[in-house]
Amino acid sequence: MLEIMREAVLGSLSNVIQIAMIVIPLMIFIEIIKDMNWLRFLTAAMAPFTRWMKLPNEAGLPLVAGLVFGISYGAGIIIQAAREGTLAYRDIYMINLFLVICHSVFEDTILFAAIGAVWLPVLVFRLLLAVAVCLVVAHFWPSYPERLFREGQKAVESVLE
Amino acid sequence: MIVMGWSTILRGTKNGLVITWELARVIIPVFFCVTILKYSPVLPWISDHLVPIMQMVGLPGEAALPLVLGYFLNIYAAIGALLPLGMSVREITIMSVMLLLAHGLPIEAAVAKQTGVPVFGLILVRITLSFLSGIFFNLIL
Repeated sequence: MLEIMREAVLGSLSNVIQIAMIVIPLMIFIEIIKDMNWLRFLTAAMAPFTRWMKLPNEAGLPLVAGLVFGISYGAGIIIQAAREGTLAYRDIYMINLFLVICHSVFEDTILFAAIGAVWLPVLVFRLLLAVAVCLVVAHFWPSYPERLFREGQKAVESVLE
Repeated sequence: MIVMGWSTILRGTKNGLVITWELARVIIPVFFCVTILKYSPVLPWISDHLVPIMQMVGLPGEAALPLVLGYFLNIYAAIGALLPLGMSVREITIMSVMLLLAHGLPIEAAVAKQTGVPVFGLILVRITLSFLSGIFFNLIL
């Protein structure tokens, strides 16, 4: 029993320290991205994909924010855009679909890299999968988000109130 | 517009420490429980029953435990539970794909809900993609 406890204490602490050594510099880097306003460049780089997914330019910012900072931050920007009326309901649904598949690419990727996962193929795969799913829905199944339109419109209105 | 200085670095360090604390709070107790479970008859028993499902994605039966914890709670809990299992790099990588596509489902669905969209379909998409991707990585790795 003592041996098991020893294993649990040493194992959990050493792993937490290992993750902390990577997560703290990463969060500094993320704050730098925020303060230097590098999201502009990322949004520009994202533009061809945004168009491909039949989304307006305004969708770029919430997509990139969700990819870099996480789903809550992305959602915050979506709600703001919905308030300003720059995004249609269909666009909002597509952004959500993209972001639930792929978000917080830095933090989540690094957590698994820190414990020994092969991370690059996984990261590329997630990004491609999110784009692919949205492309398929945008081009072959545009009625999917539209079908939810009426119900969603009501929900958006209730959020705005 | 471009304002970067000590305050940026300080804020980043603070956020990093907050995340470390959040994750330590979850990883350490889960790690303890799973380490104890590992030496009890409970985990092997659960594991034996889940072998057929987990085999599809090339993972041992006990990997179902971190997977379920990740789906329902978050990535931190999943990491805490998968570390004591001593999985190989290949297995951890498959685990990472599956968990990255679907994790913290109740919490993240609540966040998506706030933007005004129905979330049931989104959750279904995530779980389906999680399993399909696990099968895919099991084939290519």
